[in-house]
Amino acid sequence: MTLQECYAALEGDYAGVTSRLPTERMVQKFVLKFLNDGSYDLLLRSMETEDYAEAFRAAHTIKGVCQNLDFTKLYQSSSQLSEALRNGFTPEAPALVEQVKADYTQTADAIRMYQASLNV
Amino acid sequence: MNHKNKNETTQFLLISLILVLILSVTAFSFLAVFLNRQSTSTIREVSRMYMSGLSDQIARHFETTIGLRLDQMDALARDIQPERIHNDTAQQESLIASAKAREFSYLGFYRVDGTFEMLYGSPLEVTDPEPFMNSLLRGEKKVAVGTDAQDNGVILLGLPTTNPPTEEHSCVAIVAGLPASYISKTLSLEENADHVYSFIIREDGSFVIRTGDATRDSYFDRVRSIYEKVDGKDPELYIQALSEAMAAAEDYSAEVVLYGEPRQLYCTKLSHSEWHLLTCMPYSSLDNIVKGFTTRWTYAVFGICAIVLAVLLLIFARYFRMTKQQMQELEMARKEAVRANKAKSEFLSNMSHDIRTPMNAIVGMTAIAIANASDQQQVQNCLKKISLSGRHLLGLINDVLDMSKIESGKMTLSMDQISLREVLEGIVSIVQPQVRAKNQQFDMSIHDISSENVCCDGVRLNQVLLNILGNAVKFTPEGGKIYVAMYEEPSEKGENFVRIHFIISDTGIGMTKEFRERIFESFVREDSMRVRKTEGSGLGMTITKYIVDAMGGRIDVDSELGKGTSFHVTLDLEKAEIPEADMVLPPWNMLVVDDDRQLCESTAASLQAIGVQADWTLDAEKALEMVEKRRNDPYQVILLDWKLPGMDGITAARELRRRYGEDIPILLISAYDWSDIEAEAKAAGVTGFISKPLFKSTLFYGLKPFAETMAVPEAKKEESALAGRRVLLAEDNDLNWEIAEELLSAEGLELDWAENGRICLDKFANSQIGHYDAILMDLRMPVMTGYEATEAIRKLDRPDAATIPIIAMTADAFAEDVRKCMEAGMNAHVAKPIDVRDVCRQLLKFMQ
Repeated sequence: MTLQECYAALEGDYAGVTSRLPTERMVQKFVLKFLNDGSYDLLLRSMETEDYAEAFRAAHTIKGVCQNLDFTKLYQSSSQLSEALRNGFTPEAPALVEQVKADYTQTADAIRMYQASLNV
Repeated sequence: MNHKNKNETTQFLLISLILVLILSVTAFSFLAVFLNRQSTSTIREVSRMYMSGLSDQIARHFETTIGLRLDQMDALARDIQPERIHNDTAQQESLIASAKAREFSYLGFYRVDGTFEMLYGSPLEVTDPEPFMNSLLRGEKKVAVGTDAQDNGVILLGLPTTNPPTEEHSCVAIVAGLPASYISKTLSLEENADHVYSFIIREDGSFVIRTGDATRDSYFDRVRSIYEKVDGKDPELYIQALSEAMAAAEDYSAEVVLYGEPRQLYCTKLSHSEWHLLTCMPYSSLDNIVKGFTTRWTYAVFGICAIVLAVLLLIFARYFRMTKQQMQELEMARKEAVRANKAKSEFLSNMSHDIRTPMNAIVGMTAIAIANASDQQQVQNCLKKISLSGRHLLGLINDVLDMSKIESGKMTLSMDQISLREVLEGIVSIVQPQVRAKNQQFDMSIHDISSENVCCDGVRLNQVLLNILGNAVKFTPEGGKIYVAMYEEPSEKGENFVRIHFIISDTGIGMTKEFRERIFESFVREDSMRVRKTEGSGLGMTITKYIVDAMGGRIDVDSELGKGTSFHVTLDLEKAEIPEADMVLPPWNMLVVDDDRQLCESTAASLQAIGVQADWTLDAEKALEMVEKRRNDPYQVILLDWKLPGMDGITAARELRRRYGEDIPILLISAYDWSDIEAEAKAAGVTGFISKPLFKSTLFYGLKPFAETMAVPEAKKEESALAGRRVLLAEDNDLNWEIAEELLSAEGLELDWAENGRICLDKFANSQIGHYDAILMDLRMPVMTGYEATEAIRKLDRPDAATIPIIAMTADAFAEDVRKCMEAGMNAHVAKPIDVRDVCRQLLKFMQ
């Protein structure tokens, strides 16, 4: 699996990220690091404890990371979620959290597959 | 409907006016008539009172006169004894003498047999002896009339003797006589200045004393013959009433008409007699006075009436005019409201139609795609159309959203540094496919642009130009011409500003004068069949106008139906603070060939500015000659317009290649997407393309690849400027930090990481003054946000607290967020994802 295929699987903008970051090597490094990013866990935790300000910040961070890495799909759902949580809890938020979960899983799965293919 | 209303109001006013007129005329007439009547009855009343007074006076006068005479007689008779006087001559003589002295015309004794024994005067005869005798016998003093021998009327005054008559021939009374005229003279019975005249009559109507024109013997006969009917009263009824009154010795008053003239009649009993005094007065004398007054009164009444009417009319006229004016204003307001409402509902119906069309396409295409899921080409085709329709739909919705933003006053401009070149290039690349599809001629001319980088809301400027240009393409038929020009002027706002003119003209369908005046109003679209098939929200121009206004510029439109339209946008834009990167090309000799003289001159000037010596000419034939001339010192680069009069650019390129080989780069200038002609041009030997608009930078970047010894690139210069600078980066996310660190380190920056706002504040507070050159600040961080950290840093008590550049890096890129950053004390704002060039440019801008 190539990095480009990985981006296709997680529905990101490969052309965008490679034009912004100088080397594919660097892109690869950051993409793999994405799996270690704690923001997603923070989001889920704070949604559970109903700390919506923290949840907003977490969603916002995910959004920022996705922008930097051009993970378009996850960027969109996390962006919507952060808007829904910007001024506290709104009724749309839970559905959007589900969407972010789905997109995150898709993204993380794609990266894990890519990671697996590197180790082979 | 409204016409009817107006008529109704007018009618109502007219009817009211007429009614009021009638009412006032009637009221005043009634008043006049009533008062006239009233005055007539007053005259009657006054006359009656006057007459009764007069009659009383006459009657009293009569009584006094007669009484006086009788007293005189009393005095005469006191000393005589009638029985003896016959024989006493001396006594007789003295009596006669005293009687004559008292002006009695006759004197005698009245005997029981009714004969007179005259002492002097001619013999007398009593006209109606019976009542006279009776009264005398009863011992009453009495007055009667009689005649003398000459048949003259005589008034007889009888004074009964003290002793009752003893024998037949004895004397009953002493009777003195006065001529009848004496009474009438004394009592002024004849008609006088007041036209009042009187009669004396007996109870049976016969005249005692006649005056004036009375010729008959009886007053009753006179009444019968000459009195006219009054109020249905027969003369006979008068006679009856009068007789009754006389019999009862009562006063009587009546109104009679004589010789066509109303008169007042008054009857009263005279004392010492069987007589009645009848006094008559015509109304005319009194009437004339009162009539004069009444006439004046009536005139006054009608005069006042006329004045009141005139004033009323005036008020009505004024009111009418005011009402009319008010109604007109109301009507206008109504029309305006109806028009606005109509425009809105038309807009809604247009919009729903316009929205439905792409929606139908999307739904339909989706259905087709599902049906043909296996046919990849078909599906792709469908998806392409869906995406087109979707984009169109998005455009419509964006317009509506923009409009609602504008209407609620929420639209803000987000000023940024933009490149006019990039803006125009972007626009041209967007409209090119449409222009090509409609086979239109598109040309562009840019000249005298000195500062290509300006401060402006690029997105909104794009919107304005795209709107106008999009309309030009939309409303210009196939084969029409579209022309875009841009030039610069010094601005009135000062040296830091430039005035940029954009002119976008076409040879399209144009617009009517009426529409031209309303083009910038909301929800308006030229409503005629010829534009029905063109879709759009009708909001484009309103939004455009609003944006231009918000930018402090102006937009003018000039258009003629069927000939075309020209929009002229003028904006005063601030020059960008960063000077344009030094763009220098090798000192080439270049040739520019274009049929637009202005373009040639402007391009030559631009080339001069970047170190290139350029010649120019207007057609290909001339160009070939010029190249031939400089054979020994050839041009290094040739710029050829594609469309030229006579020989076109491609043919010229072919000819140049044929003559001078492949060495010289030949570039084709074109405002169009050149993919159509690329193959042909390449075959003809064209090295590359350069696209209009030809800014300095366009020329620089377009020509740079051909320069072997190039100037130092812009990016390298920035890097060198940034090398070794220390930057504090506040970012809570490891990954983002690593990316930023990786990217910025490559530019030579030294980065320190602060995991949140608090750490950032502490690190900066504990650093040596001047240690950090700048701070890059994420906004959403735990513990302390970027805003708070910035505010805290700015408040620190150290010399660089206020001056250190703080640049926000955030995923929120709304204009409002930017404003909030500025308010918190940050210098600039860059949006994520991190764009190294952008960050570097901002850092350079704010670092000393």
